[in-house]
Parts: sequence; structure tokens; C-alpha cells
Amino acid sequence: MCNDDHDHKHCLEMFEKLSEYIDGELDHATCEKIEKHAENCVACFSCLETLKRTVALCKNVTEKPIPLKLSQKLKEIIRNIPKTTTL
Amino acid sequence: MTTVKNPNHGKVKDKDFGLIQAINSGQVDKFNELVKRYEQKLYNFSLRMCHDHSDAEDMVQDTFLNVFKYLKDFRYETKFKNWLYKVAASTCIKKKRKSKFAPERELSLDEFRPGDEAAAAEQVPEWALMPLDKLLNEELSSVIHQAILSIPRKYRMVIVLRDIEGFSTAETAQILNLSPANVKVRLHRARLYLRDKLKGYFKNVQ
Repeated sequence: MCNDDHDHKHCLEMFEKLSEYIDGELDHATCEKIEKHAENCVACFSCLETLKRTVALCKNVTEKPIPLKLSQKLKEIIRNIPKTTTL
Repeated sequence: MTTVKNPNHGKVKDKDFGLIQAINSGQVDKFNELVKRYEQKLYNFSLRMCHDHSDAEDMVQDTFLNVFKYLKDFRYETKFKNWLYKVAASTCIKKKRKSKFAPERELSLDEFRPGDEAAAAEQVPEWALMPLDKLLNEELSSVIHQAILSIPRKYRMVIVLRDIEGFSTAETAQILNLSPANVKVRLHRARLYLRDKLKGYFKNVQ
């Protein structure tokens, strides 16, 4: 455990790479290093899990339907664009 | 005479190329179909980029007008969706420049580094462990929406494109004219910012 000294070199190194780790953008050796560190450091493990959860929540937000009024307005605007000035 | 670029010459495959080619060949009425395919996505992207509903609606309109204006220049070298978001991001940035808001602050990694004291006490909180479907509800969705809106815009654009719209690092870099390294830096800071907001929310509800 490294809880009594979180400003440890490995903690800081890991902290900077967490997003790349979550996104699978790191090489195998760096991933192993991070996993090994997270196994033994509660604070870094927590940091990783809360960040993972933040990303997962973003990926699962729902879409709002487009207001019918706006959709109709778009149709209207497109209908009224002078077609000879483009394409 | 307008030369219609041929989508078959490029290596990129995209379900929209046929429709774009038809529009650029003179079937301008088909532009409506293109709008229909993307209006909802673009509306949601705009809602996350603008603080105000009416600004978001303006952004959708302006983006489609720009797409209509420049579609003839589309080169079939990238998916249409990526090009559309490039137009949308650029429309949003131009709109922001015209407004009178103060420049947005930079996010530094230092402000998110856990201090010794906080880190020592930190266990994995419940909200990071419970099943996602049990966690997500209307209230949390609204909290996430507001938290995203509070991220300084240049970081917000990156997190929205990467984590909500699902673009890759390379695609996001292309859309925003940034280097992939810069995208990664902004994304990490935006996520840490959002995580802090969520931590604050869950601390208050528990």
C-alpha cells in the first residue's frame, strides 16, 4: 500500500496516463505497470475506477429528440435556399 | 460546369457517399434526406456546446447551411459524419468568437492531482462500483449535462466528440485540427474535471 504517500513517483506517472490506459492507447508494458501499481495502491485504484465510471457514464448518456418545430424550420430553410447559387 | 467528385476513387467507405453524390449531381432535393439522417445527432451535439437552447438551434441551422454551401467541395476522403462535425465545430467556434464572453480558463493537471490527505482516505466510492443501469437516472443525466456544459469549451469539445459522439483520437484530432497528443491532453483534463463534478454530486446525495 502506498496510501500514506500518494505523491509517489509511480502514482503521479500513473495519474497522467489513466485516460490513455482506459482507451487502450498504451503499450503492453505500460499497461502491466499501471495494473501492478493499481493492485497495491487503493488511492490510484479508486482514481482509475472513478475515471472509468465517468467515461462510461458519458458513453451512456441518452439523446434528446430534436424538437419538431426545429425540424420543420430546417426543412423550410432548405426549401428556400436559392439552389442556383450552389452545387 | 461543376465537376462531381467520384467517391469510388477514395479508400473510405461511407453509407452517405451515394446520397452526397446524388445531391452534387443535381438532385438537390435529396439534401433533406441528409439533414434527416443527422439533425438529431447535430442537435444533441449543439446542446452540449451551447449554454442556451436557442443558440443550439441556431448552431444546427448554421451548420446545415454551411454544409449545403460547401458540400460540392466534399472530397470523399473522410466519412461524411466526420466532415459534418468539422463544419459544426467550426460553426460553433466562429459563433463563440462573435460573442462577448470572457476567455475561458485553462485546465491544469495539477488541480486534479489528489493530495496526500484526500488520497489516503480514498476508497473506491459506491457510484463507481454499482451497475451502470442502476446508477443512471433522469436526475443524474441532468447533472452530467450541466457538468459537461461547465467544462471550458476547448476541453468540452474534445470530451463530447470522444466520449459521447464516439470519435477516435485520430478522428477528433482531424475534426478539431489538433494533434492527437493535444486531443489526449485535453481529454484527460476534461475527464478529470467531470469526475470531480460527479464526485461532488455523489458526496452530496449519499
